[in-house]
Amino acid sequence: MEATIEISGLRKKFGPHLALDGMTFTVHPGQVTGFVGPNGAGKSTTMRVVLGLDAADDGTALIGGQPYASLRHPLSHVGALLDAAALQPSRSARNHLLWLAHSQGLTARRVDAVIEQAGLQSVVRRKAGGFSLGMRQRLGIAAAMLGDPPVLMMDEPFNGMDPEGIVWMRGFLRSLAGQGRAVLVSSHLMSELQDTAGHLVVVGRGKVIADTSVQALLSAASRDRITVRTSARSEAMTVLAHAGATVAATGHDTLTISGLPAERVVSLLGESAVPFSEVTGHHASLEEAYMELTRDEVEFRAEPAGEVAP
Amino acid sequence: MTAQVTTPYRPPREEARDGFAQLLRAEWTKFRTVRGWVIGMVVAALVTVGLGLLIAGGGSSTCQNSPTGPVLSGAACLPPVPVGPGGQAVTDQFYFVRQPLAGNGSITVRVPALTGLYANGATAVGSPMTRGLQPWSKAGVIIQASTRPGSAYGAMMVTGRRGVRMQDDYTHDTAGLPGAVSAASPRWLRLTRSGDTLTGYDSADGTHWTRVGTVRLAGLPSTVQAGLFATSPAHSTVISKSFGGGSTSGGPSLDTAVFDHVSLSGTSPGAAWTGDAVGGQATGGAASSGAGSGAGSGAAEGFHQADGRFTVTGSGDIAPLVFDPAGSGFPTSTIERGLQGAFAGLIAVVVVAVMFITAEYRRGMIRTTLAASPRRGRVLAAKAIVAGAVTFAAGLAAALVTVPLAQRLDRAKGSYMLPVTSLTEIRVIVGTAAVLAVAAVLAVAIGTVLRRSAGAVTAVIVVIVLPYILGIASVLPVGAENWLLRVTPAAAFAVQQSLPAYPQVNAGYTPTAGYFPLAPWAGFAVLCAWAALALALATVLLRRRDA
Amino acid sequence: MSQAPPAQRASLLGERPADPDGPQNALQAGWTSLREALHAEWTKLRTLPGTIWLLAGIIAATVAVSSAATAAMSCPSRGCSVDPAKLSLTGIDLSQAVVAILAVAAISSEYSTGMIRSTLTAMPRRTTMLAAKAAVVTGLVLAAGTIAVLGSLLAGRLFLSSHGFTPAHGYPSLSLGDGPVLRAAAGSVLYLALIALLSLGIATIIRDSGAAIGTVLGLLYLSPIIAAVVRSPHWHNDIERYAPMSAGLAIQATTGLRGLPISPWAGLGVLAAWASAAVLGGGLLLRLRDA
Repeated sequence: MEATIEISGLRKKFGPHLALDGMTFTVHPGQVTGFVGPNGAGKSTTMRVVLGLDAADDGTALIGGQPYASLRHPLSHVGALLDAAALQPSRSARNHLLWLAHSQGLTARRVDAVIEQAGLQSVVRRKAGGFSLGMRQRLGIAAAMLGDPPVLMMDEPFNGMDPEGIVWMRGFLRSLAGQGRAVLVSSHLMSELQDTAGHLVVVGRGKVIADTSVQALLSAASRDRITVRTSARSEAMTVLAHAGATVAATGHDTLTISGLPAERVVSLLGESAVPFSEVTGHHASLEEAYMELTRDEVEFRAEPAGEVAP
Repeated sequence: MTAQVTTPYRPPREEARDGFAQLLRAEWTKFRTVRGWVIGMVVAALVTVGLGLLIAGGGSSTCQNSPTGPVLSGAACLPPVPVGPGGQAVTDQFYFVRQPLAGNGSITVRVPALTGLYANGATAVGSPMTRGLQPWSKAGVIIQASTRPGSAYGAMMVTGRRGVRMQDDYTHDTAGLPGAVSAASPRWLRLTRSGDTLTGYDSADGTHWTRVGTVRLAGLPSTVQAGLFATSPAHSTVISKSFGGGSTSGGPSLDTAVFDHVSLSGTSPGAAWTGDAVGGQATGGAASSGAGSGAGSGAAEGFHQADGRFTVTGSGDIAPLVFDPAGSGFPTSTIERGLQGAFAGLIAVVVVAVMFITAEYRRGMIRTTLAASPRRGRVLAAKAIVAGAVTFAAGLAAALVTVPLAQRLDRAKGSYMLPVTSLTEIRVIVGTAAVLAVAAVLAVAIGTVLRRSAGAVTAVIVVIVLPYILGIASVLPVGAENWLLRVTPAAAFAVQQSLPAYPQVNAGYTPTAGYFPLAPWAGFAVLCAWAALALALATVLLRRRDA
Repeated sequence: MSQAPPAQRASLLGERPADPDGPQNALQAGWTSLREALHAEWTKLRTLPGTIWLLAGIIAATVAVSSAATAAMSCPSRGCSVDPAKLSLTGIDLSQAVVAILAVAAISSEYSTGMIRSTLTAMPRRTTMLAAKAAVVTGLVLAAGTIAVLGSLLAGRLFLSSHGFTPAHGYPSLSLGDGPVLRAAAGSVLYLALIALLSLGIATIIRDSGAAIGTVLGLLYLSPIIAAVVRSPHWHNDIERYAPMSAGLAIQATTGLRGLPISPWAGLGVLAAWASAAVLGGGLLLRLRDA
């Protein structure tokens, strides 16, 4: 069986709200696929449909070519961390894993193995209700690893983790992908995926905006942009704009220019005797690239914070 | 670097002083903004009304005025029921040997014998009647405003098993000499009238008289009917009990009293005695001469007069009509019958009230609540008040709609609605709403103690409804039933009892028939005590426990 | 571009057989998944701290109320018109409420905590999951109910014989060797099991624990109250015949069977119909609704 998640044409309406609007993408094995988009873009709904928790109005979601509900031991096909709170708080962490194991025909030995893998040995007899959010995430990961599945699906796994936990999680996700598993990780913070994801599915308003490798996205976002550092900002802007470039002031002494090659910028500034200290090619961060992509797709946008006059 | 001086931030609004009104307002906002709870309260009111009307409208009674007559149903079956001076339905059926009495006067008799016969429905039809008196077989002297059933009266009487009594206007009863009547120990009875005041005396020997009581019958006309009477209520025994009701068997009874030393003062001398079966089916009319059917044959009402001895035989009762599902000859109903739907409403109310607090625990909202108002006891009080007030409003609306509609339906279906005063009606309606409201408060308290919906809902329903069911189910001995309805929160339903139990009427005054061991407001107080206790426990626990 | 899936992963899972593919294996696969679901549901229920207390509560409530009822009753002479077996089992009236809590909590606590999502992720065959849950809850109730009923009958036997329910007054002491008494006892255990199924079904339909338990208790406890006040004997009989509590408890009657509105086993059958309707309705909705 191919270790993939294939999602095609998913539609789902909650009352008048269209949550999924033809969501289509495929998650391939051997890499971490980042599943990003603003709040309410349909990431969690997609994952719930994949797990058969919600029924889509239209479209299919297949795990290795099969619908989730037809899997005999679903946890050994796909491990999911959807909602760290999806447990009964009065049950101990170990017993929570134990019933999950029993539902898959697994034994307590496997439970102890995943407890060790998630680093939960010291707290496993405690009631899960008393866990911090980070601990619950680890418990959720242990549950996802129970069946040693070739496909993993995690919804916001970095939520509530301390910096140490985030570093651990990144390494863990990379090692899972390195073992040849397909790993889908959702996040609304692109920075969390910066060094982890190899592939990105960017969604907004229930559909895919971009389905691309991280490399391609970054280079597209930094395409022929130049940063100029200058003490004479307004003169430089006048000169370059006159020559047909698009100029944006991005700092008190920096400008971002597009539409002109770097050599031409240097010569123009030199001809007009505008002082400048640095001309560099621009390197977009993943965050910027993402903001660029989703600018029009954000459903809930906060009012910009009030600027304090200088 | 320039040093920056930042003035500390001050909230733009001064802190309000009176916190409790705000707390109430906050809890009310919480309540009304959860659609499920509002719907729950509406459902509580609707099921109360709906079930009440179903009970009142379900099944029509049928009757036949004569064995060969057409079968009637519904309102056509309603018999004419006399209403006494106090406004209550009464039975006024007795054999009356009388003379008119104009102005003041007095009547004195000696009763040397009182015997009785009764039929038992369990025995074969046509078999001879059994010898024996009913506890409240009555015979004696009576002064009544008129022979119209339901008119004002005062009477001195001997009874089957309750000694000498003075009774007036159907509901009042005063004990005189105890003991049974026999030739060896006869009873002397005297009743005097002075204006609208009647005074009763009794004596064992005719010389030493004891005043039993004095009653004032307002508006007594100057000419009244005075004389001798005999009457005996129907016999009844409980033959079996089963879940949800008991069955009784019984039959009519007669009693026969012998009077001598009859003296009547204040009447025109030498006036003749006439005999009437008051309020009856005119069976005694033919016997008024006293010739045909004497008491000896024992089968009919009438009187016999010879040598100053009167033998009077009568059947019926002079007493308030009580609600006795097994006893009375025609279907009667009480205003609270239609309010039994309140039990369904109660369950809905308890569910909503419990959730009002447990929902806070389930999602950790209690932490927000207690952060906003750290004085925990006041939070609980505000919650209890809001839950109680909302429930009271819903319950009152439901009861106000149900009672008049159910009365109409009941009447249309052929049940006689036993009349009560408006004050009683108001007490029943307001009391029902109050019971629901206090039950909601109890539910909030238990919900705080247990913090789990399922456990708390069950606990509250079980302590209120289950004792009631066991109390009316006739599976337990009556003593245990009464005990349950005295100490458990189910006692509160006494507030719905519209008719009092009269000791002078022998009827099944069991919880099954709707008679509670405690007085209406006393029963309600039991529920209040439970709610107060639970609230106190809840407050202590809420203060002590971590949220 | 993907690395080959390492072969050693399979060994981690032990010797579990591969998923069956052929249709001839479908039945066997169904059994296996039901067995695994049963195992999981059993682990779930036994690791909840409330379960043991509720089971103890079933036993305590039954025995306590039954003992109180038999201790309060006395029979001074012949013809006391009391059904000693039924009286000895009065506690079922109360313990059915505890059974309802247990059964309702088994499903609605999953909804209130969000655990249902873990459950349905692990067991996507929802009807199998519900069947397993029903079986585990019913099994526990049957066990606790058996102890409760035996304890109640023992208490009834002790109290009644010392309160005048003697052979001289027409009452042989309660014994399971007596056919009707055995039927009342076994039937009461089954009654509790059916109440568990009814509650589980209603809780699956309603999902919220408070509303579900309110519905269950209303369905059970309102019928005797309404039956006591309806005018027409016809309606009264219909309520006793078709309401879950009064019909189901007909199984406890050992005297005056002729006068019953419904015969004992038929009454239990009526309750069974209510329970299956609730469970089927719950199963259907569970399949249709989003978790």
